[in-house]
Parts: sequence; C-alpha cells; structure tokens
Amino acid sequence: MKKFLTSIGLLLFALTVVVPLLWVLLTSLKSGPEIFASPWGLPSSPRFENYGNAWRAAGIGSAFFNSILVTLGTLVILLPIGAMAAYVFAKYPFRGSRTLFGAFLGGMMFPNFLIIVPLFFLLKNMHMLDTKTGLIVVYVAYSLSFTIFVLTGFFQALPSELMEAAQIDGCTHAGTFWRVMMPLAKPGLIVVGIFNAIGLWNEYSLALVLITSQENYTLPLGIANLVMVQHYQADWGALFAGLVIVMLPVLLVYWIFREKIHETMLAGAIKG
Amino acid sequence: MRRSRSRSLFILGFLTPAGLLYGVFVILPLVQAFALSMYRWRGVSAKKTFVGAENFDRLWADTVFWQALKNNLWILVVGGIVLISVGVAIAVGMKGSGRVGKVLRGVYLFPQVISLVVVAILWQFLYNPSFGLVDGGLRKVGLPTPDKGWLGDSNLALPAVTVAFVWYALGFYIMLFAAGIQQIPEEVDEAAELDGAHGWRKFWGVTWPMLWSVKRVAATYVVINVMNIFALVYLMTAGGPDRKTEVLLTYLYEQAFKNTQYGYATSIAVANFIVAMALAGILAFVFRKNPEGARS
Repeated sequence: MKKFLTSIGLLLFALTVVVPLLWVLLTSLKSGPEIFASPWGLPSSPRFENYGNAWRAAGIGSAFFNSILVTLGTLVILLPIGAMAAYVFAKYPFRGSRTLFGAFLGGMMFPNFLIIVPLFFLLKNMHMLDTKTGLIVVYVAYSLSFTIFVLTGFFQALPSELMEAAQIDGCTHAGTFWRVMMPLAKPGLIVVGIFNAIGLWNEYSLALVLITSQENYTLPLGIANLVMVQHYQADWGALFAGLVIVMLPVLLVYWIFREKIHETMLAGAIKG
Repeated sequence: MRRSRSRSLFILGFLTPAGLLYGVFVILPLVQAFALSMYRWRGVSAKKTFVGAENFDRLWADTVFWQALKNNLWILVVGGIVLISVGVAIAVGMKGSGRVGKVLRGVYLFPQVISLVVVAILWQFLYNPSFGLVDGGLRKVGLPTPDKGWLGDSNLALPAVTVAFVWYALGFYIMLFAAGIQQIPEEVDEAAELDGAHGWRKFWGVTWPMLWSVKRVAATYVVINVMNIFALVYLMTAGGPDRKTEVLLTYLYEQAFKNTQYGYATSIAVANFIVAMALAGILAFVFRKNPEGARS
C-alpha cells in the first residue's frame, strides 16, 4: 500500500515535469484559433507550417545557425586550452599551482552579473561588442573554470608511467601531451564538451548584454525577441514552434548522454 | 638543469592561453566591478567621478533596492524550503521504487537542461489567462481564476514566479539528495530496521541526519541559485507588477542598461555579492559541526 502511494506520488511529479513540455509540443502544431479555443485540446490536424514560419519569418533559422557557430566556436578554443591547463595542474605541480588552480575554480562560484558592467565596457573598448567573436571569447573565459576542474580530475586519473614511458622514447613534454595523453583523455573531453555545449546553447544573460543587433542573435535571444514581437503579430503557433526548436536539440543530446551528464553535474556540484 | 628549464617553459606555455583569457575577461572585470561601485559614471569615460560610498548611501535609501532584496529573500526562504523538502522526499521515494522510479530518473533533469529562456516563456504561457494550461485547467474543474492573471496580480506574482523557479531548479536537488542517499551505508539502513525503525521514524532518526553534508551543499546552492536569478524574472514579469517580483539582478540590469547608471548598477552587483557572502557565512555557521561526527 505504501509502495503504491509512493509510486502515485512519483508519477504525479513526473507528470508536472513532462506535461508542460508536451503542451508546448502539442500547441506548436495548433492553429492560432485552436490555441485560444481550448488550452487542453488536441490540434485537429498538425500544422507543421508553424515551424516553417518560425524558422524563416521570425528569424529563428538564422539564430539557430548563430547558436551553432557560437557553441562550436567556443568549444574549439575552450577544449584545447582548458585541457592544456588541466594537464599542467594534474601532472606538473609547481610552487603556487594549487593557489592558481583555486583562482581558476573561484570563477564557478560568483554570478556572471557581478561583472557585467565592466565586461560590457571591456568589450566595447576592444570593439568586440555585438560580435560573435566577442561572445565566443567571453564564453571561453567563463567556461574555463568548470572545464579545467573536470579535466584535471581526468588527467589525474591517467597513470603517470605512460608519460614517463613516452618521455623515455624521446617525446617532449608537449609532444607527450598531444600524442599520448590527449587521446587518452578523449572520453573526458567529450563529456566536458557536451556539458558545456548544453550550457552555451542555453546561455542568455551574457548574450543579452553583449549582443545587440538581430543578425547576431543566438537562439535564446531570438526566441525572447520573438515573444516581444508576438504581442503585435500574434502568430502564436510559430512562437511555440520556436520554443520547440530551442529545446529539442538539448533534450535529445541530454537523452543520449544522460548517464555521463548526470555524473559530471554531480561531480561539479559536490566539489565545494 | 636543462630539464627543469624546459619543464618551466612547458608549464608557462601551457598555462598562458587559459590564464590570459581568464585574467582579462574574468579577474580584471571582477576587480573593476568593486572599484566602479565607488564612482559616479554614465559610460562616458571623461566624466567618471570618484564618489566613495555615495552609491551605497543612495542604495541604502533606495526603496526599490530593499523591495528587490526582500523578494530575493522571499524566494530564498520559500523556494529553498520547498526545494529541499520536496527534493529529499522524491529522492527517498525514488530509492528502490521500480518502474516509476526508472521513468522519473529519465525525466527529472529535463527542466535543468532546457534553457532558462524556454522555462520563463513556457511559464509565462502556462499562466496566460486566455490560453494558459493553468487557468484552462482551473476552468475545466469549475474553479475561479485570478482576474488579472497570475503574473498580473500583485499578491500572486511572486509566488507564481517562485513556482516556476522551483520547477526549474528541483531536478538538481533531487540529484544531490539521491546521490547522498546512495552513500548511506547498507549496514546503517539494515541496523535501523532491525531496531524496529521504519517509515517516518527511520527517516528522521537515520536518513535525515545522515544527509548532513548533502544538506549543507544543497543549502549553499539555494543561495547561489536564488541570488543568481535574472532571466526567469526578466522574461516572465520584468519585475512587475509594480516591482512586486523585482529581484536584485533585474534591478541592476535596469539601472545599467536602461538608465545608464553604470556606477550605481555596479554597487547593486556588489551588494548582491555581499548578501550572498553573508548568507553563505550564516550557512557555514549553521553547518559548522557535523552532529554525526566524521561519518558522513
């Protein structure tokens, strides 16, 4: 009996998570009048043109490509330089390395918005405001803490004998890293890459301040802008379709890698 | 000697790219933020005046600031209690529950991985008086709905935003507590049951005290998460109606990027930081000693 009640409770909770998301999905296939007629109703026939409208007319398509560019661009810089620093912290202790490591980790704690005003002017003075490059550089800087934290753990777990063997075979320090240790750390790089990709894909606050023109909008900015515009244009179906376009890729990626993502989140959460 | 020099060069070379980016885009603005909070500055570099504590004096007298801080603390207390109690309850329920638990394990982190922008818009729509799921459901079962809508009513807006916040954040706390429960040694569980402790008695006598370190982590994250709230409020209500849902970071954004009061806005950022630190300090005091000793 008690077990049964527990199951009911858990099921109810699962529904509160899933029902709102399914509602977005269903509503994205409804026509405007249908959306207003009954919130809980099903679409009479699925209107896939909502997606076309969102993609083209509402500019979600171009925001989608900007998001892909910014996310991949950030990862391409972040992963190598994060791995390089993590490798040094894991395998080359030097005087003050723990303090430096701590300074890198500190960035995981304080809110981005604490520095938003100085950051805005820093980018303005560097003429990088409202550019994808500027956004990428900032994203790399702000993702370093977590990336270095996780990858340091990964490199620490790799046996030092491998390094020594490679060096006896004539590899330099850097050669050992690129040819021996990096390939071994690949599983770690993939996990950290996916984890960062989800966060970058979703990021809104920094982009809101650092990006101003619509042609540079990432998806979160694009969809938020669409909500404002909708109050005049009222193509609600397209708006719901836009929401699906923003969240579906992350949910798919999450579903495929959920075990690993779970582990990484937990490791990051309990470090303190 | 040559070996150690090549080692130093290697260390330097490998740390420089990350160190440079981190130093320029994270550490430098952080230092500037504290300095800037003592200036009156509207963004034109020539007209930057040092005013010492003037911004903070002004903040002290600013009723909107206090209102925003009060709202942050409201979400912190109410949201925090719900997050931790419901988080623990679900984590306990999930342990050893068969199929339903498995389904739940797959979905409970969904709200965490979708963008906060989606969460904010989704909840704005759920609360929408004309096509929202919430009012639609209430009407279906014949219950009254708020006249001005949930987010338009000055008494309901903050609780409504807090519900959205809890919906978004809860998965993270379930994850923390589920991991904590898994770490409770099997023998402790069995010993408690042999002593005749079941259900509530076992929970309060064994499980809850054993989760000491997880509770500390969870409480710290509640502080971090709540003091970080921006996008959710900004997109759901923009602080309205009548500042009833204003939080410190939405007020900061308004002062900086709508009123171009950059110095003043930065003093809000510093105040936000100080409040978070103070709360963390209180937590460190509350959790200063593990009553269970070194076990957990």
